[in-house]
Amino acid sequence: MSENYIIEMRNIRKEFPGIIANDNITLGLKKGEIHALLGENGAGKSTLMSILFGLYQPDQGSIFYNGKEVKIRNPNDATALKIGMVHQHFKLVEVFTVLDNIILGAEDSKFGFVTKKAARKKVEDLMERYHLHVDLDKRIDEISVGMQQRTEILKMLYRDCEILIFDEPTAVLTPQEIDELIKIIKNMAKEGKSILFISHKLNEIMSVSDVCTVLRKGKYIGTIKTSETTTTELAKMMVGRNVSFKVDKTKANPKEVIFKVKNLCVLDKTTKKNVVNNVSFEVRKGEIVAIAGIDGNGQSELVKAITGLDHSTSGTIEFNGVDITKKSIKERIELGMSHIPEDRHKHGLVLDFNLSENFVIQRYRNNEFSKLRRIFINFAARDKYAERLIDEYDVRSAEGISTVTRSMSGGNQQKAIVARELDRPHNFLLAVQPTRGLDVGAIESIHKKIIKDRDNGYGVLLVSLELDEVLNLADTIYVIYDGELVGKFENDNIAPEELGLYMAGGKRMDLEENKEE
Amino acid sequence: MEVDGKYIVGLRHSKLRDTSISVFSSVISAFIGLIVGFLLMLFAMIFTNGANAFAGLGIMFAGPFNGTYVALEFGNMIFYSVPIIFTGLSITLAYKTGLFNIGAPGQFFMGTLGCLLVALNINTVGNRFLGILVWILAIIVGLIFGMIWGSLAGLLKAFFGINEVIASIMLNWISANIVTWVFSLNSSIINSDAGKSGYLIKTAQTGNFSPSLGLDQLFSGGTSKSYLDIGIIFAILMCVIVWVLLNKTTIGYSMKACGSNREAAKYAGINDKKNIIFAMTFAGGLAALGGCFYFLNPNIEFAFNSAYQNLPAWGFNGIPVAFLANCHPLGVLVSALFVRYLNSSGTYLPVAGYNQYFADIIIAVIIYLSGFTRFFKERIDRFVLRREEKRAQASKEIEGVVAEVTSKKEPNAFVKFFINAKDYVVHLFNKIFKREKKTSENEVVVEKKEETEGGDK
Repeated sequence: MSENYIIEMRNIRKEFPGIIANDNITLGLKKGEIHALLGENGAGKSTLMSILFGLYQPDQGSIFYNGKEVKIRNPNDATALKIGMVHQHFKLVEVFTVLDNIILGAEDSKFGFVTKKAARKKVEDLMERYHLHVDLDKRIDEISVGMQQRTEILKMLYRDCEILIFDEPTAVLTPQEIDELIKIIKNMAKEGKSILFISHKLNEIMSVSDVCTVLRKGKYIGTIKTSETTTTELAKMMVGRNVSFKVDKTKANPKEVIFKVKNLCVLDKTTKKNVVNNVSFEVRKGEIVAIAGIDGNGQSELVKAITGLDHSTSGTIEFNGVDITKKSIKERIELGMSHIPEDRHKHGLVLDFNLSENFVIQRYRNNEFSKLRRIFINFAARDKYAERLIDEYDVRSAEGISTVTRSMSGGNQQKAIVARELDRPHNFLLAVQPTRGLDVGAIESIHKKIIKDRDNGYGVLLVSLELDEVLNLADTIYVIYDGELVGKFENDNIAPEELGLYMAGGKRMDLEENKEE
Repeated sequence: MEVDGKYIVGLRHSKLRDTSISVFSSVISAFIGLIVGFLLMLFAMIFTNGANAFAGLGIMFAGPFNGTYVALEFGNMIFYSVPIIFTGLSITLAYKTGLFNIGAPGQFFMGTLGCLLVALNINTVGNRFLGILVWILAIIVGLIFGMIWGSLAGLLKAFFGINEVIASIMLNWISANIVTWVFSLNSSIINSDAGKSGYLIKTAQTGNFSPSLGLDQLFSGGTSKSYLDIGIIFAILMCVIVWVLLNKTTIGYSMKACGSNREAAKYAGINDKKNIIFAMTFAGGLAALGGCFYFLNPNIEFAFNSAYQNLPAWGFNGIPVAFLANCHPLGVLVSALFVRYLNSSGTYLPVAGYNQYFADIIIAVIIYLSGFTRFFKERIDRFVLRREEKRAQASKEIEGVVAEVTSKKEPNAFVKFFINAKDYVVHLFNKIFKREKKTSENEVVVEKKEETEGGDK
């Protein structure tokens, strides 16, 4: 029956309290195949892979390795079966060199001393064979994210893994790095490695994989050859309805300037370097301005300075004609600033609060939600408001408005934040990675709402690492590199590769905005 | 861990059921604590002459019932729980704001200092009306002293980022020394009776003592009255006030937001510094009230001379009281009474051959095991959820329709909870006793059987 599958997972079922994460899922992986695993947030992809890697035990179902049933109780068992995994967040020791990280846990020793000579030879051979070059003597904190990922891949190859699992490997990479990675993966498959590739990005799946298995809400939907399908069909399988990728939007109709940043600098206290360096730009009412860039080029610091979470060292921020550089967060909120934060757990939500409490976190003292001279909470008004937001923004949860947000899936947490920020009276929206980790269905709806915000005549500043998102939404695009704005584009027919060059620091233009007056 | 997957719609938790499960888990934990305490007593039998663990446990359980005059014992039990109710509330309030107020002993001392300076230096003997006025003034002064002392730790935390635990520990010792020093200068209020040294006079001598409202008479026995006074009424009132503050007011909301996620509170424009200072000030005031109501009782005297050597246990005991109550303001009332209930058996333990401090050991064990409450709660939650799921499935199969599971029509959550509680105990019981018999082959079968048994009413 099993047509020479190297690994086969049959009828896997895994339950967590209150949730069926995997419901009767079957997956077969052939030798030398690139098998993609596609699904929305919370579809159970990661759970399934965690079961294969021995992090969870399935409640039902069995795993076959070369036709023989095996039990994988922990990651060591998985390694013994030559199964390796690159996690979404790398598991590397930052202060070790690349080589040390690769051999860590599998190092040779002589009289109790580590010997690296043979290991180095082996790693160098591997690098040659798979065209996967990394500087072995650099420390992890000195190399780029793409290089770190290569280190992770080498780690698996060094352990002679035959089955390689990639958990959303492209989430952190630039377009160029993604192309490289796809080449590497194809190369490895050619050498006979079998690859499982988790993603919710359809384009990647189309370009890299041979076969694709789709999960939806913990259920197995189907397995399909990628050569015989289209992105539209895959999206439909994944979401269960038709999805449009391009958000329809009319041409922007910008009016007066609502938000203006002039020569803004933020100094990093430890490195004594400007992490935001002389940044100037404007956002007008009725337009979406995007700041594109690779993670860690000063976006977070810029956002913190704009929102007041941190101080800027010099420069001015003007909002609605008021200089808000020194104003408190509360004053900025009262002036009409809405902010979808980058880190939904750190800033976006009080995880131990329920939905209804989280929805009013900026406005709990407003007359609307309090009574008796703002001393007491108006529970009735608050709950009614929360019910409306849940309905309108399709926030799904187990217990409605009294769901503790900690127990919700990441996607729904994000939807709750978006609901709060868009529904709050505002005239300027700062959206940082508004669709981080969301699936196409949710992305579509959030993008529509952001565009509606623009069409309502609000100013929108979008800070995103996803190039697709930037290209989809923005009217004007700035590229940030190393804390500086290095490019400005009007969004009509820009080639993503061109933007990629600016993002990677390969090119820059002189912006008028940067010039001192 | 992030769990992804599908939520089972319809299985809503009712608030009442959640509370019942919490209470039930606390009871299980306390009960296990008693069992472990009992085992300790058995163990101690080896060393104690003529000891009897059963008798010892009986005495522990009987608490105030051991005495000849039960009402009197109860009165004193309630009186002694007053200071730990206040310090327990102090810890609770700070904890909800994300602060650990280990400074309660110091604030307790400052409250004592403030109130006794007023109450013992003004003599109103003979004029009860004036006495009451001075008594009120004493409480207000004590309260202010405590609030100032609490706010110091809050200010240090808010503006200089100094950990409130370290700051409060320092402040505790500073206050202990201040108390001894100030009172030793104030020689007119030192008790100079023969055989007395290092004590202050009692409030009974200056006439500014707490009114008993006849509570002492109500709880009396033989010729003696209990110490019980108006303090317990204020303590209960304060429990309610703190509960309302935390759960019903906007201030409580912002305090809790800061407590559970300071960054998110800041992001939302909530002034986190203000909240920290407010919480520590209020907490300081609460702990100080504990000192006021304890020492303003006409029967209690303050050992000022040794104060600088020992921080008051009343302050520290607030910590276990608060955590035994899972930091619920109304629970603090119950847990303080519970702790004092067990404590009042201490003097009778020697009857069974145990040292009186054995009561403290058992209390400590119970409090330690109260940390397991969460462990039990999770298990019970899971158990109940599985059962409801199964029932939902069963009713689906029988009726062939999608069952509207329990969510909306849950009028009798309380009754339901008891059924669940009973079943959980049966389930535990089965698990413990069946596990011993099981062999590797029929493991699954046994598990299945258990579940069906648990599933039947």
